[in-house]
Amino acid sequence: MLVKDYMTKHPLMGQPTMSVVEAQRFMGENKIRHLPIVGKGKRLLGLVTRQTLLVHPAKLGSLNVWEITRFLSNLTVGDVMVKAKDVISVDKNATIEEAARIMVENKIGCLPVLEDGIVIGIITEIDLLAQLMEMMATRLPGVRVTVRMPNVSGELAKLVSAISAQGWGILACGGVPSPHDPAKWDAVVKIRDAPREAVVAALEKVEGQQIVDVREV
Amino acid sequence: MAVSEKVMPSISARPSFWLRLRDALAPLLASKVALVGLALVLFWVLVAIFAPFLTPYSPREQDADAMNLGPSAGHPLGTDHLGRDLWSRLVYGSRLILVLAPLSVLCSLAVGTTLGLLAGYFGGLIDEVVMRLLDAMMAFPAVLLYLIIIAAVGASATNVVIAITIAGAPGIARLVRSLTMDIRTRDYIAAAQLRGESPFYIMWVEILPNARGPIIVDAMLRVGYAVFAIGTLGFLGLGLPPPAPDWGSMVCAGRRYIWSNPWAVLWPSLAISSLVVGLNLFADGLREETMRYQ
Amino acid sequence: MRVDFEQITDMDYRIKTPILKVENLAISYETRKGDVPAVRDVSFEIRRGETHGIVGESGCGKSTVAFSIVNFLGRNGRIVGGSILFQGQELRGRGEEELRRLRGDQIAMVYQDPMSALNPSLRIGDQLSEVLIVHRNLSKKAAYEKCIDMLKRVYMPDPEAVMLRYPHQLSGGQQQRVVIAMALLNNPALLIMDEPTTALDVTVEAAVLDLIDELRREFDTAIMYISHNLGVIARVSDLVGVMYAGEMVERAAVEEVFLNPLHPYTQGLMRCVPKLGLSKESSYLYPIRGRVPSPAELPPGCIFEPRCDYARPQCQQAHPELREVAPGHFARCHFAEEIAAQKWQPPQDLIPDLAALAARKPEVAEPILRLQQVKTYYEQERKSLASLLGLGQARYVKAVDDVSLEVPRGCTLGVVGESGCGKSTLAKTIVGLEPLTDGRVEFMGFDISVPVSKRDLSLIKELQMVFQNPDSTMNPSFSVGYQIGRPLRRFRGVPRHQVRDEVIRLLEAVKLDASYYDRLPRQLSGGEKQRVGIARAFAARPNLVLCDEPVSSLDVSVQAAVLNLLLEIQQKYGTTMLFIAHDLSVVRFFSDFVAVMYLGKICEIGPAEAIYAPPYHPYTEALLSAVPIPDPSADQKRIRLSGTVPSALHPPSGCRFHTRCPRKIGEICEREIPPCQHVTAEHRIYCHIPLEELRRIEPVVTVK
Repeated sequence: MLVKDYMTKHPLMGQPTMSVVEAQRFMGENKIRHLPIVGKGKRLLGLVTRQTLLVHPAKLGSLNVWEITRFLSNLTVGDVMVKAKDVISVDKNATIEEAARIMVENKIGCLPVLEDGIVIGIITEIDLLAQLMEMMATRLPGVRVTVRMPNVSGELAKLVSAISAQGWGILACGGVPSPHDPAKWDAVVKIRDAPREAVVAALEKVEGQQIVDVREV
Repeated sequence: MAVSEKVMPSISARPSFWLRLRDALAPLLASKVALVGLALVLFWVLVAIFAPFLTPYSPREQDADAMNLGPSAGHPLGTDHLGRDLWSRLVYGSRLILVLAPLSVLCSLAVGTTLGLLAGYFGGLIDEVVMRLLDAMMAFPAVLLYLIIIAAVGASATNVVIAITIAGAPGIARLVRSLTMDIRTRDYIAAAQLRGESPFYIMWVEILPNARGPIIVDAMLRVGYAVFAIGTLGFLGLGLPPPAPDWGSMVCAGRRYIWSNPWAVLWPSLAISSLVVGLNLFADGLREETMRYQ
Repeated sequence: MRVDFEQITDMDYRIKTPILKVENLAISYETRKGDVPAVRDVSFEIRRGETHGIVGESGCGKSTVAFSIVNFLGRNGRIVGGSILFQGQELRGRGEEELRRLRGDQIAMVYQDPMSALNPSLRIGDQLSEVLIVHRNLSKKAAYEKCIDMLKRVYMPDPEAVMLRYPHQLSGGQQQRVVIAMALLNNPALLIMDEPTTALDVTVEAAVLDLIDELRREFDTAIMYISHNLGVIARVSDLVGVMYAGEMVERAAVEEVFLNPLHPYTQGLMRCVPKLGLSKESSYLYPIRGRVPSPAELPPGCIFEPRCDYARPQCQQAHPELREVAPGHFARCHFAEEIAAQKWQPPQDLIPDLAALAARKPEVAEPILRLQQVKTYYEQERKSLASLLGLGQARYVKAVDDVSLEVPRGCTLGVVGESGCGKSTLAKTIVGLEPLTDGRVEFMGFDISVPVSKRDLSLIKELQMVFQNPDSTMNPSFSVGYQIGRPLRRFRGVPRHQVRDEVIRLLEAVKLDASYYDRLPRQLSGGEKQRVGIARAFAARPNLVLCDEPVSSLDVSVQAAVLNLLLEIQQKYGTTMLFIAHDLSVVRFFSDFVAVMYLGKICEIGPAEAIYAPPYHPYTEALLSAVPIPDPSADQKRIRLSGTVPSALHPPSGCRFHTRCPRKIGEICEREIPPCQHVTAEHRIYCHIPLEELRRIEPVVTVK
């Protein structure tokens, strides 16, 4: 689960000489929200997001209509982009949770992936959400059970052995500290090829654990 | 009727003479350079053919009253130190040079092609011997070679041809040899050998026709060089004996009066250079045009 | 129960924007006779990590499409319509400088000839690291390390040593690996490969194809793969576009195109290629009639109409559009649905004569040609000072070393092997173009161990040859009629006035009409030249004809016709043939007996059907596993030979194949020349491995 495996390789890229209007059209047409701006040899020069393309009204306040038109048509991506030194990037060998942490802490939606200053890919919040989706095996049918268990080691193993004792397989498994009870841990497992009732019956027997939610998806 | 039906397909398959001529001339007409060259050469050829109609004077006719004159109505290009009309000397001189230059190139072609084919086709010892000998000859500067040969056999039209033949043959032999060595590896040569054809047949019938393109272009250039060489020999006094209207010797004779009458030097020099430039442009244009669409 | 992970990756969540999107592209070349439309209305798109194969015969415009993307159309070519979107940006109509910036370092190209991409005067290391130093401003040391990494990724053996070598010191396969490594150093979004394996031997080709497939997954590069070889395309591509005369006539996923072709041209192509394992007794190749129209004179309606078996009046008038016939399957045909529904029937004039097919297997007769321990060595030119003075030993290239075989009258012996195995030298030795070093060649009971110039004319007449290269097989200066007539005049003593009639009879025998008599070779297509070459070889009714790769430089549709023709003529005249080729399917189809050669020696020889089934010689097995099969559903064992063919100047001791043999059993292979093991009286294998063990090897190819 490293960035290099989940990033988008060969992302669409722009040049600093592109006009802002052109960049807006380009990003709209290709349905992208982030555009790395590169120079020779795909070296990162900056990053353009939809926000950076919005021109600050204060800049235009003092201009008349004609001046505004000229100002806008002369404005290039190079003028408005976030410069490379201010762009937060990530190494291709970072884990995806590390990438997520950087994004969350900085409240940004995308990280260019660099190697020697060269853009080799881009990873966005959508990529991470998609991986969350995949980790939960969203697209495969099964029984999804949320079990609340004490925050003690060995508890997950108990749950897993109860499932494997029935001969079922686990499609996905994940856990987070319970939002409601700091001493507890909420684990989600997705079991395949098992009827819902049998799953409930089997897991109810696990000691000290409590089924919070069961659904067939 | 039956006969004509049988013959029909072959006639339709083979383009008529005029069509083929047009195809052959197409590259020539497409190249402006070649056309300019051709125009220059044609000018001199026509002048040579119609020489007697272009001038009232004979090239040897001296006029003691009109020596070293500039251009005038009577003598359009002026006269030389003996009062001979420069225009008529140029006109008749073109006849000489346009016979001697191609003739000497043809002779060196015959010698060079034969040697080149032999060396290229057989290779081995024959190749070594022939090529080393020719290399030795090529080591001499051409002018020096002319001087040696003319000095040995004397100055005359025939000997000029012989000198140019000997000096030109090694270059042609080299060209033909390299073409032969390339063509020799083609499958149709192997096919001919598998028919038990004689080496003579293979060289002259299978190889030579396919080498003609580069040889023709090379020969064109060589005619230019031959004109040049004949001019040089004339200038050095090793060309045709004096009364003959040789362009080179005209330059040489006029040289002494160059301050009083520059025309006598200018016109023959211009004549030589225009013919040489024309031939070279023609050959170059031809070569470029035939290569362009390959 | 198993989760189908294939399915998961198929449903990739990412919106895959195409890296390259070509729409209605049209390209014209300016010639002396006006503009010639070379490519018309070509559309396709390639996404990340996809390989899009483009297949077609020569002159169909596939390379032109590639050149238009990288702006290499040359002085007289230009894009006249459509659009090329690369990474979302339009490439058409931009200036040179702008194009360079847009493409940036994002497109790389690999050509057929690796030497055209390598600088012969620079070391590999300098060339590779220059890419990084110039484009990425890396330090020399960092660049060097990255290059070594990349060479390792393309499985270059001993990368440190390779970095110090010059291009000419590498073999063709290694050079192509270097070029691929160089292309990937910049991590391009699009990789265009124009026949990258065509010049390589089949075992090397297989390894390079494996590599391409692996790298595509790793780098997520979009690959545009151009080839004329259906087998190669079937092996590497996800999607395939079939081009014909400048148009794309069919486009679909690879399985669809090969298993369920919808366009008559694609179907015709599939019927032209001999399937591995099919023989002339059991099958028939159906060539596509006619020839590809010249781009200057295209038919007004469907461009394939003049050659199509299904043509109807409508096809002559309306030009069909490329339309989606089945989901994801595009074809440019008015009647694709109907054609797909009905079963193909060979048209009347192409139905083979079944009686002739049955009679084709000749009775095994007495041998007409017998080779006994034939050796052909070339003396290596010596360049050292010592040898100049006559010192030192002469070194020999052992092109053919100790070959013994027999060819029965009326049969065909196929000789296969990779380049440099000595198969062509063997042919030249037999006809007398190369002098024999040792051994004896016997033909019709006569000793012909002398060069052709010393042979009797009556013997020369009986031994003729068909050559590989159609462009050099005919003398360009003489008419077809003259060249076919020449052997008649020399050998047969046909009276002068009858020569013309006889030549026309021969032309008709090779399916050309009398109008060809006066044509010059340059007015003929490759296939027609090859037919004339065949007519010339058979003119004197020789007893033995040697065919040196007669179809390998022809397009598949023409290849089928020429193979059929050779079979027919052989049948008619009862000629014995020696058929040399590197294509194992063709050799299997054509021959009664097959000899497999490696480094001047025969590894295995026997009846064709026995060679292609176990027991195999390990080399035969490797060759068979490397053959690209034009059938994506065929199951083929993966045996890849390591290393390169050793030089014939210093052949390995013992068994020549031991340096690369995947089944090497031990030191005995290095020490001793392998014994001849008789599987049957006719089937011989030269190998140390006991026959019982060789018998246990499973068949290499299984077709579902």
